[in-house]
Formats: sequence, structure tokens, C-alpha cells
Amino acid sequence: MVDLLSLVGLIECKDRNVNSVKEAVKEALKLIDYSFPKTKRIVIKPNMCYYWDYSTGQTTDPNFVAALIEMFREEISPDVEISIVESDASAMKCKYAFKYLGYEKLAKKYRVNLVNLSEAESETAQVKVKDEVFEFLIPKVIKNADLRVNVPKMKYMAFTKISCALKNIFGCNPYPKKFKYHPKLDEVIVALNKVMPFDLHFLDGLIVCGSKTLKLGLIMASQDPVAMDAAAATIMSVNPKSVGHIMLARKEGLGNLSFKIKGADLNYFKAKYPKKGLSEKIVAFGYRVVCALGLDKRLI
Amino acid sequence: MAKKINLGIIGLGFIGKVHLRNCLSLKSANVVAVADVSKKALKYARELGVKRLFTDYHELLKQPDVDAVVISLPTYLHAPCAIGAAEEGKHIFLEKPLARNPEEGKKIISATRKHNVKLMIGYPLRYLIDIINLKKRIEDGELGDIQTAYAVNIGVGPFTHRAEGTIPSPVPEWWMNKESTGGGALLDLGSHMVNLLRWYLGEIRDIKVFIGYRYNLDVEDYAISIVNFISGTTATIDVGWFSQETAISIELHGTVGHASVVHRSQNRVITAIKLILGKTSKFFKPYLEELSHFVDCIKRDDDPLTSGDDALRDLEIIARAYNNSLILTNQNDYSPISS
Repeated sequence: MVDLLSLVGLIECKDRNVNSVKEAVKEALKLIDYSFPKTKRIVIKPNMCYYWDYSTGQTTDPNFVAALIEMFREEISPDVEISIVESDASAMKCKYAFKYLGYEKLAKKYRVNLVNLSEAESETAQVKVKDEVFEFLIPKVIKNADLRVNVPKMKYMAFTKISCALKNIFGCNPYPKKFKYHPKLDEVIVALNKVMPFDLHFLDGLIVCGSKTLKLGLIMASQDPVAMDAAAATIMSVNPKSVGHIMLARKEGLGNLSFKIKGADLNYFKAKYPKKGLSEKIVAFGYRVVCALGLDKRLI
Repeated sequence: MAKKINLGIIGLGFIGKVHLRNCLSLKSANVVAVADVSKKALKYARELGVKRLFTDYHELLKQPDVDAVVISLPTYLHAPCAIGAAEEGKHIFLEKPLARNPEEGKKIISATRKHNVKLMIGYPLRYLIDIINLKKRIEDGELGDIQTAYAVNIGVGPFTHRAEGTIPSPVPEWWMNKESTGGGALLDLGSHMVNLLRWYLGEIRDIKVFIGYRYNLDVEDYAISIVNFISGTTATIDVGWFSQETAISIELHGTVGHASVVHRSQNRVITAIKLILGKTSKFFKPYLEELSHFVDCIKRDDDPLTSGDDALRDLEIIARAYNNSLILTNQNDYSPISS
């Protein structure tokens, strides 16, 4: 398979002030030659995995989303309809996450919709990945959007090695008990990206949680989720070719593994990123073994 | 051989499971029954060998062979369950806080007196060896007069992670509702620290508290209290639910010397291994000690160290603190409104 080069824009942004982030994001979009389309409805999917706020590096900073909202209103139209979406998960409920993580305040201030996909109107759709057909509920708010914007975090994960752009779309599946998908996580991640393709991806790497939490000050932009994940994996010192869902997404035509970095130096962020040491890798492996043996229930 | 005490465990949430594991390891007690509304939780108990499982705690209270109950229910259920247990003649170990407010607390104490059963409140720090040793040093005058004291209890609060690790666990709905909890971090964690400082320094003359809402919860997720003791000591109590890492510490400054105790989580891997083996982690060792004390009190007909009356006093002080509180809102740049 021959890869084309996808553009990935990197910008360093040292503070989380809405104006600073907005200017950095605009700069990142220029780097990838992005031009704003005519749009009536935008969906923004941040990463809200639990009730830990932006300062832990685990969830998307509401200031980052505020910066995007301001930018879209300036660049597209002040009247563009914007919805921020997330779904309930095994351990997290949107009604609390929206409130605790600051998204209720954000929605009120910017007059945007806050949508719990698990309660939203959806329709069934089927998608084929690796000769297997998967069926999901597709929320209409995502289906009907003209511009779908993904705002992931970059994290190490026990079962998928990394979580970034592709994995964040896993949260667009309205079904709350997501652990049922764990046996086929790579396939399900790719299937969801295939059935709900997002147009624009912004990595909120202002604060990251690797082996520790760190102010990395990274903003990444791309129209290609595979290229973004490959770039993020490289920064995290994970070989993108070793990440199952990245390789499967590439095979299924969701993007290119090869990327061209524009803007800041990727190696600068790679040197700075709090990478996993051997002991953390052993712990992650041990946890996978514990889960495989069904002993994880005892950890509660 | 002395008769073993037959225990019933009511409530198998996070701390209820810790109590269940600890009770199962007590040599002088049997766990004869458990009650929880969750069938998943009951399955957990069955896998640990408990035979009698109830989804309704009233059924457990009717079991004639149950001598005592360990109650780890949501705070709004403390009063009905503890009063019901007293009426059935069961001795009671009740998780802190005693109740949502002093009025409910008084009803519990009154029921236990009327039915002549023991009431012990779960204040595990009082059974931590370093904390006990510090009490002796204070009493021996080693530190002189304690002029200032700092008590800290900051951690995840209800946002509990498995094995003190990083895998998120669901938060039970009742934690999200002030009506169910009676209060936030000040009641949940402050009750530990008020109790401990009262044990060390005597009764409290006055308390003022600043309460804050970082996570926009219905209840405060952090609180800093300034406390004035009749003994002349001034203390601060700093509690919070906002951190992924647990910090519990006491620092005393006396006219002769200084002393401190820090209680922290053990290494995650060691904790996980102990839990997989069904053992108690070092962090939860005082929880085992307190249950052992409870069973000993029943056997010897002694009064528990952490009594209902003691906990009622804590509750009254916290209620006074809430009435004297200064609320801090939107004081940090967390809100997306600050741009």
C-alpha cells in the first residue's frame, strides 16, 4: 500500500487563554492549507472520559472548545449552529461531566447546544470492517452536521496502546456500556470512524497525561485522523505501525500513515512528552493480564 | 472457645467491600449475611464465601443469629437503617458521617440507647498506629502546648478509582445529590479531621470555613476551616475532593517541638496484588483495626473509642461551620468564561 503524505500542522501554545488558543488554531489551519467551507451546522466532539478536568490532561479543555467556537463564528458565520457532543460511558454520565468539566458554563456563555448522544435521536447504520458487518446507532446531530470537528487528547491506553483522534470517535457511539466492545476494540474504533467520518481534527495537547501530567503546549491540526494519530504516536514514542486501530484505519482508507509536519518541530514535542518507562509498560501489561484472567473485578 | 460474633454487612459500595474483606479476615467474627440493592455486589460477596445474600437490608436485620451490623450505606440511609438495626437489637458499626445532620444523628443515638446496643462510627484514622503514637506524645507533653495545627485530607472523594489507580469507576448517583449526602467534602472528609483534632486538642470553641466549588458540584468540593480550640490552639482543616492523589496529614506545632503524621496510598502495584489476593492494602489497614476494635467491644462489653456521641459532636461542629461559611465561587481561571 502506497501512502500519500497528509499535512499535520503543529503549533506551540504556552497558555490556555481562549484568545491565545484561537490564534494558535488559526495558525495551525493555515499550515495545513485549510479553507473554511460554507457550513450551517457544526458538531464538536471533545474528549470527556471521566470527571477529571482539563488540568489533569485527561479531558479536552473547555477553553480550547471556546476558542474553536469563536473561530468558527468569525470565519464561517456568527449564526452557525454549533453542538458539543459526548455520550455516556460505563463510568461516566454526560449530565454530570458537562457540568463538572465546565461545559455547561461554556454552552451557556456561547449559546451552543450540549448534546448527550446517549439520549439523542439516532438511526441504525451498518458498516463493514475486515469483512465483518457492525451495526451502530448514528446520532442525527452528527449525521446532519456539515462540519464535524474532533478535539481529542493524546493518552496511553492499556488496550489500544494510544488514544487520540480515531479513538475519540469511539465516544460518538451512543451505547453507554462500551466495555462490551473491548474484545474487538480496533475494529469498532475503525467502524465508527468509517460510519461517522470527521472532517477536521484538533489535538488539545496543551496539558497531557503520559507517564505524568505535563504542560506540553501542543496544538495539532489535520484533516486526516490516521496521520494525526501517527504523528501523536511518534511524539509518544510509540511506533504507529504497532497500533492496531491506526493500521486498520489506514487499510480501510480512512487516511494516510505518512504525514508531513508543518510548523513547529515534532522532535521538540517528542523530547518533552512524558513517555512511559519500562515499569509503566510492565504495569500496563500486568493490567491486561489481570483483565484477561477476569481478576479485574477484585480491584474494586 | 469463645463465641464468634456474627456480622451482617449492609451496603457493598466501595467502602462496604473494604469492610467485607476485612470482616472476613477477622478471627473473632463470622460474616453470616450481606445486603445490597446491587446483584453484582451480592455476587461479589458470594464469590468471597458469604452464603446469605439480601437485596433488602430489612431482611438481614430480621436474621436472629446476626449479632451486629456494619452499615456502609449512602448517608441519607444511615438514620433509617441504624434505627432499624437498633430496634432489632443489633450492635452497629456505622460509616462516618453519623448522619446528614445533627437531628438525624440524635435520633440514631436515642434508638441505640433505648435498645441498649453499641454504636461505633467508622473513623479509621483513630486506629492508625502513627496517629495513636502522636496522641501519646501530646499527652506526655513532648511537644509542649500545641499552638497551631494543620490537618489535611484531600483526595478523589466519590470519584474513586479502582485499586487507587487510574481506571475510572462509576460514581453512585447518590453522591451527586446534596439531599442524599447532607454536604460535600467538609462533611465527608472534614468529619475525620474534626474528630481527630478534637481527640488531640479537646473541644472546639469556634469554627469558620471557606467552601469552594471547583467542579461545579451541588456540594462543595473543597473547604478550608479555621478552628479555635478551648485549649488555645488554632488549627486549619483543609479538605477536598479535587485531587487524583490522596494526601492525609496532621502537623502539630508546640512550644517545645513539632510533629507530623502522613498517611498515604501504597504503591499501586502492591495494592492491586493485595486486592487480587483478597488482602487489605496498607492504606486500608486502619479499617481492619477499627472493625477488630468493634468486635472486641461487643465481646468485652466495652464502649467503642469512636462513639456515636463523639460523632454527634463532630456533626454539630460541621453544621456550625456550614452556617458560618464563606462561599468561594468562580475564584479561579478554570471557568471557560475567563478568556
